[in-house]
Amino acid sequence: MKALTIAGTNLRRMFRDRTSLFFVFVLPLMLILVLGAAFGGPSTPKIGVVGVDSGHFLDALRADRGFRVDTVAREGDLLAAVERGELAAGLVVPPSLSGEVRLVVRQDGAGEQARLLVAAVIAAENGRLASGEFVARVAGTDTADAMSIVDSVAAVTPVVSVSTSSTGDALFPADLGRFSLGASSQLLLFMFLTTMNSSVALIESRRLGMSRRMVATPTSTATIMLGEGLGRVAVALVQGVFIIAGTSLLFGVRWGDPPAAAALTLAFALVAGGAGMLLGSLFRTEQQAGGFGVLTALGLAALGGCMVPLELFGGVMRDVALFTPHAWANQGFAEVASRSGTLPGVLPELGVLSGYAAVLFALGAWRLRAVLTR
Amino acid sequence: MTTDTPEVLSCKGLRKRFDDVTAVDDVSFTIAAGETYGLLGPNGAGKTTIISMVAGILRPDAGDVLVEGVPVSTRTTEPKGRIGYVPQELAVYPDLTGRENLTFFARLQGLSRVAAARRVAHVLGVVGLTDRADDRAEHYSGGMRRRLHIGMGLLHEPILLVLDEPTAGVDPQSRNAIMDNIRELAHSGLAILYTTHYMEEAERLCDRVGVIDAGRLVAEGTRRELVALLGERDRISLSVDGDLGHAEDVARLVPAVLGVAARGRGLELLVHDARQCLPAVLSALAEEDVRVRAVEVDEPNLETVFLHLTGRALRG
Repeated sequence: MKALTIAGTNLRRMFRDRTSLFFVFVLPLMLILVLGAAFGGPSTPKIGVVGVDSGHFLDALRADRGFRVDTVAREGDLLAAVERGELAAGLVVPPSLSGEVRLVVRQDGAGEQARLLVAAVIAAENGRLASGEFVARVAGTDTADAMSIVDSVAAVTPVVSVSTSSTGDALFPADLGRFSLGASSQLLLFMFLTTMNSSVALIESRRLGMSRRMVATPTSTATIMLGEGLGRVAVALVQGVFIIAGTSLLFGVRWGDPPAAAALTLAFALVAGGAGMLLGSLFRTEQQAGGFGVLTALGLAALGGCMVPLELFGGVMRDVALFTPHAWANQGFAEVASRSGTLPGVLPELGVLSGYAAVLFALGAWRLRAVLTR
Repeated sequence: MTTDTPEVLSCKGLRKRFDDVTAVDDVSFTIAAGETYGLLGPNGAGKTTIISMVAGILRPDAGDVLVEGVPVSTRTTEPKGRIGYVPQELAVYPDLTGRENLTFFARLQGLSRVAAARRVAHVLGVVGLTDRADDRAEHYSGGMRRRLHIGMGLLHEPILLVLDEPTAGVDPQSRNAIMDNIRELAHSGLAILYTTHYMEEAERLCDRVGVIDAGRLVAEGTRRELVALLGERDRISLSVDGDLGHAEDVARLVPAVLGVAARGRGLELLVHDARQCLPAVLSALAEEDVRVRAVEVDEPNLETVFLHLTGRALRG
């Protein structure tokens, strides 16, 4: 009961600090909104075309659903749009496809895909034009009639079909909401950052003499340590629940199986609480703890896949990432949110996170006890 | 204190070292119910270390602290409920209100929610903060914070109040209010352990004083006993009208007067205890129609005692 009193006071003090409220509640939602708006969700790359407004060639390009094809009036506008990244590629087509077709692409995956698509469509168009030329010569008709014969024959000629199937899970499923991709990463980053920052309150308590005063009451040191630890966990949990609820309601983020998501949030809050307690007992001044806490929180978040998805990490970095609790929690949330995992599916992640929490709490309690009863 | 007054605190042979420094060296003293005991010494003398061991937040290397015969240590909890600890640092959460600060510690003292609310209201009245109870402590003046700080030590109705330099950094008006509060608490039967490096406070508040220097208790007793250790006497200066020689003869006949000398238009009397014998001197002079216009008493103080015992000034 006394431990809850201490934890409750920690929480009350956090709610009294307007700066904390901004970092705990406002900033995470703002970042998820901004990141989701900027990078989230499916987007279809665009190809700009100058020189043709309609016709078979344009229809053939538009037949590919992987791209949107827009016509552009002037070549200068086309190049500028590619430079700005508004278009994945720009195509300058000579009248009646006579002569050289010029293609300008961006140096990225979408530009390369556009190049392949344009090359395939032009190859097909070249074949069609050659067939028309052949028919015109053999049948002695004009080119328009010849092309019409070619098109009608092509429509009834059996073609070699390609059957496509998929295997394995998509790294970023197409049905994942635009805000879902970064939400769990931001959740972990902020829960850890806030809790590390809350270690400052533990040092302030010592500096003010409140900790000594608590020890002078008929409250065991173990109860005081439990209360301080619970206080840190409570701060992390309140923020975690707020982010999950807020992003679900405001941005439609899908967090997956509730028991699994809740277990992962609780386990990570325990890890963050233990780390906060250790930090608060290791340093003497709020400035030292604050600086080290922010650096550690951001460093672990970067290493653990909260800034760049783990899926994009190389082999060695992926192994290194697994030394951070963030990577395990990220893996767990990916399983639950993206692949419809349930509690049994994230038991390994929960086990590792619990281990981290136990070690950090044990070290924090050991240090805090030494500091309180020195 | 009389011998039949129950002993509340007993410290026996307390020792504490920090690395190579002996902070407290074989310190023993007792405090009875209703007694105010002052630990007087300069900064760094070991007062706070002794207080910390008494409050059970610092483990002594040797020696015992007993409250009503029950040992106090960092590992015990029950006897701590009998001690009200007021540390030197202003231990108040600035972002909580006065009431919230008090309630927090009332709960840690083991009071139920209802009992805590009742005691908090009472203590707010005792320290004069009822009107500002729901303001955040960060908006209090230094004196108000200090009073709140002291109030936190009274919530659970302790039998021993331990105050570590409670008037440090407060204005004279607040200091007087705090000292009046402490005196009232002592009158209510509370045993009080009070540390200070202000000689005036020790003289004004404490029934007995322990003089502490470099971790050792170098002398202990009432102010008078300590002064007597030095063989010093009080001096009474009287301005009188009329026959100075006659006045001198009259004063000399008062039993407690050790010596009389005429100085200008007055007399200078040497006595053991000026406060005790002054009424007898004035009465004897009045009976002989010697009119006294002014009286000045000069008593050796604890500053002098400290200087004699340690060779250093208190606030050196």
